[in-house]
Amino acid sequence: MISEQKYWNPVLETLDHEKIRKLQFEKFKKIFSWAYERSRFHRGLYEKAGIKPGDILSFEDIRRIPTVEKSMMRDIQRKDPFPYGDALCVPLEEVTEFRQTSGTTGQPVYQPDTWQDWEWWAECWAYILWAQGYRPRDRVFIPFGYNIFVAFWAGHYGAEKIGCEVVPGGVMDTAARILKIQELKATAMMATPTYVLGMADVARTQLGIDPASLSIEKITCAGECGASIPTTKHRMESAWGARVYDHSGATEIGAWSYECQAQSGGLHVNEGLFLVEIQDMDTGEIITEPGRRGKMIITAFDRIAQPCVRFDSKDVIEWADYACPCGRTYRLIKGGVLGRADDITKVKGVLLSPSTIEEVVRGVEGLGNEYEVVVEKQGDTDRITLKVEFVREGETRRTEIERELVGQLRLKTNLRYDLQFFSLGALPRYEVKARRFKDLRSKA
Amino acid sequence: MNQAFDLKKMNDIILCMKQGADELKEIGSDFPALDRNLVRIRASLKMLEINISDAIESNSQTE
Repeated sequence: MISEQKYWNPVLETLDHEKIRKLQFEKFKKIFSWAYERSRFHRGLYEKAGIKPGDILSFEDIRRIPTVEKSMMRDIQRKDPFPYGDALCVPLEEVTEFRQTSGTTGQPVYQPDTWQDWEWWAECWAYILWAQGYRPRDRVFIPFGYNIFVAFWAGHYGAEKIGCEVVPGGVMDTAARILKIQELKATAMMATPTYVLGMADVARTQLGIDPASLSIEKITCAGECGASIPTTKHRMESAWGARVYDHSGATEIGAWSYECQAQSGGLHVNEGLFLVEIQDMDTGEIITEPGRRGKMIITAFDRIAQPCVRFDSKDVIEWADYACPCGRTYRLIKGGVLGRADDITKVKGVLLSPSTIEEVVRGVEGLGNEYEVVVEKQGDTDRITLKVEFVREGETRRTEIERELVGQLRLKTNLRYDLQFFSLGALPRYEVKARRFKDLRSKA
Repeated sequence: MNQAFDLKKMNDIILCMKQGADELKEIGSDFPALDRNLVRIRASLKMLEINISDAIESNSQTE
């Protein structure tokens, strides 16, 4: 029975690491040549660095190739061939899909895809979903506003590809989506961690439905780090009585990593489709050993319209020092994506990662899921305000909760915060990517 | 860990299918219903190449 097969690709996902590296090297050379020969942007970048396809003889040579930053893509776009500019590697008439980045870090980047690229996106997702136990018998509900952001579009087609029945939960409000899940007995869904928790709140407070009583068995998250933050994952799994899995992807890259059913504390990098390099943020050196954090430089081997070759994603990751019990030989990144290089900031001289604050807040019983962090300059000093909500029964234990919160924040972040407590529902709610960390210092 | 799959035979069939799609494309380029559906077929064949054919060179033991 195909459904009992553990791996989407039983050959690639269990290939010896040396063989994977050989495959990656050959595939890298092909996509590098493709970009060099067909894109004025890429050729210009590589010629300036004095590198051409014939020069790539080892992984060391790959490391000499300049990286591509999102800002470069912004600069070349909105020009001919309109609107993609000089990175486009296929005739415009071969482009069948348009998506754009969310613009969280500036002007959105446009992403053209051919039909083959789109098939490839779905293929990336097929690896993810199969590893997370999705099978043809699943009825998958996707509570996502289908629009110009790629978000769960490829998840939709990936689920169809593996044979699931997919219910597009597009233009519906949260309550209607929950009722549709109940009506259809959906077994799986995909959403951001923020929305998974928000849906659970709406189910309880507006509909009087315990989300754990619904038929959802597994949830795949994207868009935020939450599903790899143990306390957030625990909250989602408890609320829904379901297994919650993380994956990571991006508009310009593809869906490049996934948590499997073993939930071993990391995400498998899909090394058959991507080359992930970790670069030391201070020295630029490529980190090959486990346990050292750096930012991810990534190449997608098979994306052709607007190739992703040594893209500087700014995602902070580290290799795990253990193998996953699932048997996949694709390496794990420990704890998923740990943050973004441009989010990790110095506050009062201490390096602070916003995801650590989330880990603390979601670990304190009596606090709601929402929070907000504001960093401001007060004279010469940084001031951090953390706004949190009590759940209803939490307000009666304020002193105890505050003590635990202060202690955990001190322990995990080594910083002191001005705390502000609110009633449940007072802080902003988000459906897609939450913006809970506000650094106002540069605007002062 | 690898199960024994006859990757070489799989690849031979993929290549035949690809050749068939290419031939159809050549003789039917003015036939929209043929040409446009072939774009999709060829994209699916590319996914088979990514999953099977690309693995062959790196996995000679299971050929």
